[in-house]
Amino acid sequence: MKQELLLIQGTLPDMGLQSKAAQLALKGHLTLRVISGANLEAATADDGAIAKALIPQAQNARVILAPATTRLRAILPMLAWYLQAGLTADCTHLDISPDGTLLQTRPAFGNSLIATIETVSGIQMATVRPGTFPVSEGAEQIPVETLQEKPAQRVKLLEFVPLADSVPLGEAKIIVAGGAGIGSSAGFLKLADFAGRIGGVVGASRNAVDAGYVPYSAQVGMTGITVCPKLYIAVGISGAVQHLAGMSGSTTVIAINSDPKAPIFQYADYGIVGDWESIIDQLMEELS
Amino acid sequence: MIKRILVCVKLVPTATSVEMDGQFRLKRDGTSLQLNIADVSALEAALRLKAATPDAEVVVLSMGPAKTSQTLQELYALGADRVILLSDPALAGADSFATAKALVAAIRCLGDFDCLLCGRRAIDAETGQIPGQLAAALGIPAVTNVQQLTARDNGFLCQRRLENGTAQLEIAAPCLLSVCEYTYPLRLPGIMGKRRARDKQVEVLTAVAVGLSAEECGLRGSKTKVIRVDTRAPGLRKCRYCETDVLAEKIREVQL
Repeated sequence: MKQELLLIQGTLPDMGLQSKAAQLALKGHLTLRVISGANLEAATADDGAIAKALIPQAQNARVILAPATTRLRAILPMLAWYLQAGLTADCTHLDISPDGTLLQTRPAFGNSLIATIETVSGIQMATVRPGTFPVSEGAEQIPVETLQEKPAQRVKLLEFVPLADSVPLGEAKIIVAGGAGIGSSAGFLKLADFAGRIGGVVGASRNAVDAGYVPYSAQVGMTGITVCPKLYIAVGISGAVQHLAGMSGSTTVIAINSDPKAPIFQYADYGIVGDWESIIDQLMEELS
Repeated sequence: MIKRILVCVKLVPTATSVEMDGQFRLKRDGTSLQLNIADVSALEAALRLKAATPDAEVVVLSMGPAKTSQTLQELYALGADRVILLSDPALAGADSFATAKALVAAIRCLGDFDCLLCGRRAIDAETGQIPGQLAAALGIPAVTNVQQLTARDNGFLCQRRLENGTAQLEIAAPCLLSVCEYTYPLRLPGIMGKRRARDKQVEVLTAVAVGLSAEECGLRGSKTKVIRVDTRAPGLRKCRYCETDVLAEKIREVQL
């Protein structure tokens, strides 16, 4: 009988997920094992090689979880194929029955639906949106095994350029997030200036990131980071469900948008309709 | 030298809201469809590789309802050499595992290729799992989240966007590359292309034609099952419209 809950952590370990995995293992009568492939991710660029190295580790797994980082979202589907197991992407909620059946919940079809999914294969696999679960005490004390593997030949890493400023978005008390409505990289510099003055950091919607205004590290939402700051100021963000999913846990939400019909206002505590630049100018003046 | 580039594309609903049937399957009839936004980049990347390599062939593969062939036919005008639609009612309701299985069966019918390009995720289901599953099933290396790619020697150079930076990678052919949205804007069809497209037909393949059994297809062949769907309640907060002085006050409160 397969009795393990295997958590795979990558370069960016999700301690909240580690806490959640411990709770799920307890409730589902499974043994928790944590494996880190972080050293491999640094050493080799071949996700397929990492997936293969994980196959023997999954021998006794009933559940396999991993944070939905870019690399693990590539590695887990490969591993799922090798194990012929079902895999649910980017879950936002997990539960388990005492017999070890994993209930996986995720937003579906990019809109207002939330689907709960069960796996019909023996091994149940899911990636989990990073930052979804709060870190509970003791998560750091869970022993982590390191994955060993031979370097791969088929993909070669030539160069890695780290992001200049890694914004600790997940820890920020105040986030000033911009959307496509900001219109340019220069606009984002202005937002950054404002954020800096009020002790916040800059976030962004996917549209703003895809448009190239701001790096991916700033992306809040379903395919970015999930945040829950004390104050979230959404500027020029229409409020696609994918974005809302990443910030709806914020204590207070302020929306600034020129379109009075923008859905973001339905998810905000305070709102101003108007040109974002003049509103930010006015705010800076009042706060100076 | 590149001989054949395969591109997997999906047509997705243009509407922001979609309906589902009693079995939690996406209703794909009656909604207008467009090429998935990341797949646009993959297709354009393939057409550029073809332009740089004489005699290279671009083969587009899609899976979906029969009616999508109308939209897919337009891809001939852009320069696709073959457009293939895997379409069978039996394939409806497939999860990513069953979808990958079906696509792999079709890909195996198409012969050798140098590169398999696809979008990094579809905007309807957003699992982004198909690229990894295809690569594992086909036994080829893969790089996901590609933002730039060029052919080099017997492989490709590509730039991969990660959370903490950008990786410059070299990958040997044959391989799979999944491309990010807006990496390459899709070209417009030219007059020559439109003329050439007139006599070309989308090749339609059934599940049986690619060697799939009924047990491998659709809901039956899936490894995951949707057991419940809830509607997310809109308007979780009550918005109070105000002036900047109220906002400034709120910001000061949080700063304390």
